[in-house]
Amino acid sequence: MSLRELAVWSQEPKSDEAQLAAEDYIKMGVIKAQKGDIPEPYVMETDKTILVIGGGIAGMTAALQSAQSGYQVVLVEKEDRLGGFVNKLYKKVPAAAGEYKKPLIVDTDIDKTIKEVEGNPNIKVFKSAKVEKTEGQPGQFDVTIASNGNSEVVKIGSIILAAGWRPYDANKLEHLGYGKSKDVVTNIEFEDLARNGIIKRPSDGKDATRVAFIQCAGQRDPNHLSYCSAMCCTTSLKQAQYVRQNPDATAMILYKDIRTPGNLEYYYKAAQNDPGVMLTKGDVTAVTQSGNGSLFVEMENSLLGEKVKVEADLVVLATGVVPATVDDPILNLKYRQGPGLPDLELFDGFADSNFICFQYETRRTGVYAAGCIRQPMSMSDAQEDATGAALKAIQAAEHVAKGVAVHPRAWDVTWPDPFMQRCTSCKRCTEECPFGAIDEDEKGTPFYKPGRCRRCATCMGACPERIVSFKDYHVDMIGSMMKNVSVPDDEDKPRIIVLACENDAYPAIDTAALKHAKIDPAVRIIQLRCLGSTNLVWIADAFSRGIDGMLLLGCKFGENYQCHFAKGSELADYRLGKVQETLDRLQLEAERVGLIQVAIDEYNNIPAIIQKFVERVKEIGPNPFKGF
Amino acid sequence: MSEQSNKQPNRILVIGGGFSGLTTAVDAAETGAEVIVIEKNPYLGGRVAQLNKYFPKLCPPICGLELNFKRLKNSPLISVYTMAEVENVSGGPGDYTVAVKLAPRFVNDNCVACNACSEACPAERPNEYNLGMDTTKAAYLPFNQAFPQKYVIDSAHCKADCGKACQNACKYEAIDLNMKQESVTFKVSSIVVATGWNPYDAKKIDTLSYGSVKNVITNMMMERLASPSGPTGGKIVRPSDGKPVENIVFVQCAGSRDENHLPFCSYICCLASLKQTTYIREQNPESKAHIFYIDIRTPGRYEKFYWKVKDDPNVSFTKGKVAKIVQAEGSDDVIVEAEDMQTGKKVKVRADMVVLATGMQPAGAAQKINGVNYTEEGFALSNQGVIAAGCGRNPMDVARSGQDATSAVLKAIKTGLGR
Amino acid sequence: MEQIIKPDLNFVNDIIASGGESLKKCYQCSTCTVVCNVTPDEKPFPRKEMLYAQWGMKDKLIGNPDVWLCHQCSDCTAYCPRGAKPGEVLGAIRKMTISEYSPTPFAKMAGDPKYLLVLFAIPVLLFLSYIVPKGYLDFSQIPRGEDGGIVYAKFMPVFPQIDVTFGLAALFALACFVVGIKKYWSAMSAQLDGSGAGAQLKGNLIGSVTATIIEILTHKRFQKCNVTKDRSTAHLLVFYAFAGLAITTTWAIIYLYGNEFLGITAFSLFHFGESPYPLYDPMKILGNASALTLLIGITLVTLNRMKNAEKAGKGSYYDWLFISVIFVIVATGILSEVLRLADIAVLAYPVYFIHLVFIFFLFAYAPFSKMAHMVYRAAAMVFARHSDREV
Repeated sequence: MSLRELAVWSQEPKSDEAQLAAEDYIKMGVIKAQKGDIPEPYVMETDKTILVIGGGIAGMTAALQSAQSGYQVVLVEKEDRLGGFVNKLYKKVPAAAGEYKKPLIVDTDIDKTIKEVEGNPNIKVFKSAKVEKTEGQPGQFDVTIASNGNSEVVKIGSIILAAGWRPYDANKLEHLGYGKSKDVVTNIEFEDLARNGIIKRPSDGKDATRVAFIQCAGQRDPNHLSYCSAMCCTTSLKQAQYVRQNPDATAMILYKDIRTPGNLEYYYKAAQNDPGVMLTKGDVTAVTQSGNGSLFVEMENSLLGEKVKVEADLVVLATGVVPATVDDPILNLKYRQGPGLPDLELFDGFADSNFICFQYETRRTGVYAAGCIRQPMSMSDAQEDATGAALKAIQAAEHVAKGVAVHPRAWDVTWPDPFMQRCTSCKRCTEECPFGAIDEDEKGTPFYKPGRCRRCATCMGACPERIVSFKDYHVDMIGSMMKNVSVPDDEDKPRIIVLACENDAYPAIDTAALKHAKIDPAVRIIQLRCLGSTNLVWIADAFSRGIDGMLLLGCKFGENYQCHFAKGSELADYRLGKVQETLDRLQLEAERVGLIQVAIDEYNNIPAIIQKFVERVKEIGPNPFKGF
Repeated sequence: MSEQSNKQPNRILVIGGGFSGLTTAVDAAETGAEVIVIEKNPYLGGRVAQLNKYFPKLCPPICGLELNFKRLKNSPLISVYTMAEVENVSGGPGDYTVAVKLAPRFVNDNCVACNACSEACPAERPNEYNLGMDTTKAAYLPFNQAFPQKYVIDSAHCKADCGKACQNACKYEAIDLNMKQESVTFKVSSIVVATGWNPYDAKKIDTLSYGSVKNVITNMMMERLASPSGPTGGKIVRPSDGKPVENIVFVQCAGSRDENHLPFCSYICCLASLKQTTYIREQNPESKAHIFYIDIRTPGRYEKFYWKVKDDPNVSFTKGKVAKIVQAEGSDDVIVEAEDMQTGKKVKVRADMVVLATGMQPAGAAQKINGVNYTEEGFALSNQGVIAAGCGRNPMDVARSGQDATSAVLKAIKTGLGR
Repeated sequence: MEQIIKPDLNFVNDIIASGGESLKKCYQCSTCTVVCNVTPDEKPFPRKEMLYAQWGMKDKLIGNPDVWLCHQCSDCTAYCPRGAKPGEVLGAIRKMTISEYSPTPFAKMAGDPKYLLVLFAIPVLLFLSYIVPKGYLDFSQIPRGEDGGIVYAKFMPVFPQIDVTFGLAALFALACFVVGIKKYWSAMSAQLDGSGAGAQLKGNLIGSVTATIIEILTHKRFQKCNVTKDRSTAHLLVFYAFAGLAITTTWAIIYLYGNEFLGITAFSLFHFGESPYPLYDPMKILGNASALTLLIGITLVTLNRMKNAEKAGKGSYYDWLFISVIFVIVATGILSEVLRLADIAVLAYPVYFIHLVFIFFLFAYAPFSKMAHMVYRAAAMVFARHSDREV
């Protein structure tokens, strides 16, 4: 209890209100201490082997990094050869920290990496394989790998999902001539054409001396892919160098915007500085036959003219990235909440994180995505990404082994301990857990997997029987704190409980107090791990003791949710929708309870938000149970 | 790390306590390494602590910082040194000696952030946290949610009796005016260089008239103007006369992608300007924003954020770089000039205020650490035991900085394993 | 109208070979057009020219008045974020325009250092063919004047050697110019029709010509240059020096043919004696003053170029050849006079010989060298006004 913030700085100095508040907070602090127990970590027998799904550049990097750090790795690749998309590349963009020097295209050296992976004693490689099912929990995953007709179960600690991507289906780009002319190819197909030195056009084998690259072939297009694939501009600049291996050939890059962020700008500069590399901005509308065997790329709003046709022998469509997770769960989790990562539609099918600050966080504990399955990215970015994912996977394996939570409560050794004798198998906890940590057995009884748990206590809030407890956080503890708050007899002095999320709302209140902003003396503030842990019984508890109102302050929800536990505040809101019933039973007005979304930087508004709620409660009048 | 390899504790020194450094520290400590964080500011969080909101979610950056601070406080493995600078790095992978200079804060751990010293302090200092747009007392807390939550006395601006006045006001004996600069050395197995970036000095771009034409500001200043902890409490008004801004122009690539200034692309500026249009549009439904650009760079799924802003009829875009900015005659308004390439005409747009999307210059451009390698532009280079992370090695956004830092942790830990 | 784009790699390579090696660095930001003070606001240059150049769109460039409205102030080059040096690229395109419209093979030779000796060999051999048969290589054989002084006219007679040679050279140059300008004008007209911009030739030609002349006389446009501010003054000096020398030359012809040969007394008003004319002769005064102006002007041009090299680019062979030729002409001209007066025959005759060779170079190759800029730029200025490109 921060007495200073809650009772001193935020109250009128030396007032009766401040005194009363201080007493209440001390009382609550004592109850909290009395009701809490010293937590002991949930230690179980674990395995720290890391499973890497996908043997492309991201997967191989993740495997090597983990193995070099002393961990056992199981690598699963669906093809019969490691290497993924890099196998298809003729050359790659060289590495550079600043200016790019010639040559601007270099060998991928993928064979070297494959050899390194296959020769590493810590890495077990399954080729032509897939993950059939993943059971258990971090530290204790049982992963069934099907390979060449055999199935094998391996013990796994944590998982790196690097199953990669596929190019967008060019057959959907008929307006760009794909399928209609043999001389319209995708950038992936072009890698193959380039392999033989001088580029020939597929239709008649003549030298392709005029090659047009159409950028954003499908990407940044509401009819196809809404996102940018991040790598295609650099790829086309690279492929222009393939074209220029023939000194008589020209490469024409037709773009909407050239996107070479960061130091890649140096590559753009080096790659365009070639007599035969031509670029212009424009909107490509169609690819048509010119009548003499070549093609016309039709453009509008081009810098070369309002409406122009560019004549070309060969057209390369810079098609984009589609993540493997778009239509395949890959992980095949045997979780009650489903086989894949949830909410991927928020990320266009990518196994991405909703958290800007925590890029590897998925809603399945111990599963970290890397490479183009997470976000569209270049080969070198994928390698960095995979290294980061490997660290997170190692961290998760180590944390579950010690019985400590992973992100965001990475210090927490408590865990949910349901009193199962009283469980009615209502399944609310299994449905509401944002991390799918609770399965059900054959009879439908919840089955807690602490290794998957992030300690948000949503289950504690969900349970109508109040059976879920943590050693230092449970329904009775918070309920008792509320019940012991002073309730003034004076009808003009309402008493209101504010339940504040400890991640955003509470720090905002803290900051308001630090600025010595005055907070209405009617409120008593209680910190929650997450609003998701709000149990409706508290409302009954509080109102039966004469409390006049209850305000929940939690994180923003919706598409861009800010809740560290994904769904906590939203679930609390959903539950409050049902509180009517409880309040009706008590013959109380539903408006006595409210939930307001606040962000951590809204400290300037917090006093007014609270004030407004207090006014609302004052208008309703005192709680009729007061004094009972 | 796994037992068989864990002969000695892995000790990692992190230079820079901004977003990358903080992520490095937390991720490394949570993987079992001992971490020392060296931060030159009196607070952690770096540039992120100055941001109003993140793109594309428009959420407050302090939220993620707060969580990292909490983890840091909960970890016994992390020691933080603020107002500290690395003077020299010597040794090799697995065994580095790092010399660090600690500047005096003049405030000790007794500080409870009660603000009494600040109230009593007679002197003021320019507030660099708000990019010089306002002042603080010479005894100050860098910003509301600063970590550590400890005041600082700026001795350069607290001369004569100023210090005594502050000291007398403190009831907790937290002010120690006899603190001296100290030097300490650390023995570590690896080093992560996460020194971050500085906004490019807009005064150097003479065509854009920063400093000579009124109401031309930089994007970082815009962040502070829009922030609730900024000089105006979050109201976007123009500096010259406090007029609410109704008409704003964003000038992209102000210094970036320019051989005369920063030859690389700064990655964040397009998204930052798109984001900043939402600040102004949210404050005033009638307001208009105009973005002049060379290429709009919203890679990956950021594209959808671009679409969202583009759908706003009051935000317009012109392909063409601004290369001339003048004061409107007899007014504090600003006139920018560019070629609208789509129509092929020179255009002049008059605005209440102009925001220069100035780019990021790696910290290594201004200050190089002895013993660390850099590119010509000042980007830190990695080797086996010294790992560069974040914007100090390549311009990137916050998301990538965090990811890059996590990646650096594994490399740093691997170095320590070999001992 | 839908336009078919067929990039011409050869043309791109030609621009690069002509001094525009940086053109491919342009990424179309348009800083150049904004910092350019001499471009019109509608369809400004040089950003679009850079794009056309990158794509090798020859027609768009050599039939383009904007290429010549550019005075190579180099503000664009100084501020270009990519080091694409638009000023130099347009300079290269101007050189190619001159070469394109010139009807003779000299054009190619004028821009290529390989042919430099050939170009000089022509006048050298020509003049040697006059003096060798007379044995004038032995300077003592050269007759002296009445007062015993050096008289260049006795070394290389004015008629027919000098005047016929230079007269023919001038006629040749004039013919080339006429052909070139005609071609250029029709190319510009064709681009105008093809541009679909609705711009048409209108206005009165006389008005456009007059306005252009006034602009040239005042160098008003040139003075808008920013980075290379001093260039317009230097150029103005050179320009007026040439004008002065042109008057002097005309005057001399009038003396010679009008007075000495035909005895028209009206022309003898200021005639104080036979060639070499005395120093107090007004014609001589104008000539000497012009020569000094030219010396100062061309020195300033050179110094400016060296001073601005970092920001504006170092310039091409083509530019430097032209500057050097003028420099040698003025230097040898002044030296000839000084040496003649000092009666140092052993130096005077060779210097005068060199002077003649360089003057021939300047005159005969004018349509192919940078000298042609005065004609093409003037034509472009007239065309721009005439087509309402600008007023």
